[in-house]
Amino acid sequence: MKKTLMPFTRRDISIKKSTSPVILKFSAAILTALFLIAIFQSFLYTVDPAFLDLDARLLAPSIGGPWLGTDALGQDVFSRVIAGFRWSLGIGTIGTTIGVLIGLSLGIGAAWSRNRMRVILSRIIDIGISFPYLIIAVTIVTVVGRGFWPLALTLGLVCWPTIARVVYAETLTLREREFVTAARLFGIGSFTSIVTHILPALRPTIQVVTAFTFAELLIAESGLSFLGLGAPLGTPTWGNMLNDSRTYMAQAPWMMLGPVVAIIVTIFAANLLGEGLNAREKSKSGRVSQ
Amino acid sequence: MLLGTISTTLFLLLRLSGDPAILIAGEGASPETIDAIRADYGFDKSLIQQYFIFIWDICRLDFGISLINSQPALGFVLQYLPSTLKLTFLAIFFNTILAIPAGVWLGAKPGQRRRRILSTIVSVAQGTPAYVIGLLLIQIFAVWFNVLPSIAGSGTWAWVLPTATLTFALSPNLIRVVAASIEETTAQDYFRTAKANGASPSVLLLKHSLPNALLSTTSLLGAQFAFLLSGALITEFIFAWPGLGLILVQSITNLDFPTIQATVFVVAYLVFFVNLFLDQIFRFADPRLRKSQV
Repeated sequence: MKKTLMPFTRRDISIKKSTSPVILKFSAAILTALFLIAIFQSFLYTVDPAFLDLDARLLAPSIGGPWLGTDALGQDVFSRVIAGFRWSLGIGTIGTTIGVLIGLSLGIGAAWSRNRMRVILSRIIDIGISFPYLIIAVTIVTVVGRGFWPLALTLGLVCWPTIARVVYAETLTLREREFVTAARLFGIGSFTSIVTHILPALRPTIQVVTAFTFAELLIAESGLSFLGLGAPLGTPTWGNMLNDSRTYMAQAPWMMLGPVVAIIVTIFAANLLGEGLNAREKSKSGRVSQ
Repeated sequence: MLLGTISTTLFLLLRLSGDPAILIAGEGASPETIDAIRADYGFDKSLIQQYFIFIWDICRLDFGISLINSQPALGFVLQYLPSTLKLTFLAIFFNTILAIPAGVWLGAKPGQRRRRILSTIVSVAQGTPAYVIGLLLIQIFAVWFNVLPSIAGSGTWAWVLPTATLTFALSPNLIRVVAASIEETTAQDYFRTAKANGASPSVLLLKHSLPNALLSTTSLLGAQFAFLLSGALITEFIFAWPGLGLILVQSITNLDFPTIQATVFVVAYLVFFVNLFLDQIFRFADPRLRKSQV
């Protein structure tokens, strides 16, 4: 009886509210730990990741020995997975920063400007969105060359459209809000208004988008390295290691294990952070949005 | 508009990235050879002239001769289009029949323990890149159990692993979107009213929940289709699948610029039409949009 009258009990709602901070803390903790690994990686090596030992090729994982095994050149898989953190997280961070900066300025610019300027800017965003960006990234990387900085800059330069679109939509509603209009009537200039009113109001959105972009760039980066188009050959990155492991799937399946776990955990943590932030924002504003 | 931007970007990328004649001739070629190649490809003209020639060539659908196998690049690329399209359609098909029921089930009563387990699995799977899934599937089914072939070209069974990889790579996202929109409708007033009036669960689902989910689902499926055309790149590479992705990777490794151009162009063209098609579907599926158009 009660159930038909109130199909949505308090429990349904409370689950959502109580889980979001836990998710947030949990994912933030994992990500912090991963970044610490990337920064202090040299303390964690058991063996130098570049050290070749041709007598110890394709060793199976063992306690006391190389505990994630060794690869075809006798390099220690564990050390190389650890070394991969700096590469992946570094590229992810730089790329995301660039992408967010471009997306933010284009999005706000498009929403703030009027008439023809807005049409042009929002058209640029539309075109960017329908661009198959992985293919463009692949092409740029071929031409510019492999390596850390080319990859980080390229990914940063191709990932902004989604960010720009979200920022654009959000700014468009914000600029019609009372406090922004009030500021305009008080004669406060566009720039000041953007910095003091729009940017702080956009902060939750930007946080969410940043987390998701970061995860996406990690996938793109390791994918490019996996294709042999990202990291220079021999660099210890997860994509490279997975590519190497393809040849030895029958003899040495453990070569895959380390990088696979590292990739999944990192991307999962970043996605979870984005979801946690999203849930927090929603429960705060109390609105149901897509 | 879109195509214009793409071709301009491509042109700038390919022409401003060092001397293409030297790239084609290879290192250590004699200056005469390089000059001959330069004249042959028109690299000795000014950049503006080169640009107009480039655009004219594209309008005539002439992308030049592949540097590797001396075929016209466009024809060469188009040979590989059907197999990519087949793979794409298969993946979208299985994705739809797997993910929509799962999403509906998940979204109907969120918060139940069984469903929360599935939703956790889904969010982990969502963060798993396609090539990791592909490698794991190969490891399990081709190496350990040795029941399925891991590379293309050996009959129907060869389709199984690539299709499964793409399906598993795409479905988590779709499941979540479907679940979210079903969940969203259950909070709407019209849904509660219908429920209070005693509508049966199946009527509730078919008449009130699913139509609402249609919009976001279609938009995601379209995006996934576009993604597959370009993003099947890695999956095709793993399974040595003879499609656009493999051609692109190969031509990039060989610095075969005409083929790169042709592939990027074909993909951009397809994506463009998918987006156009989607806009029409939206107008058909969403009465609100139709109204605002009139």
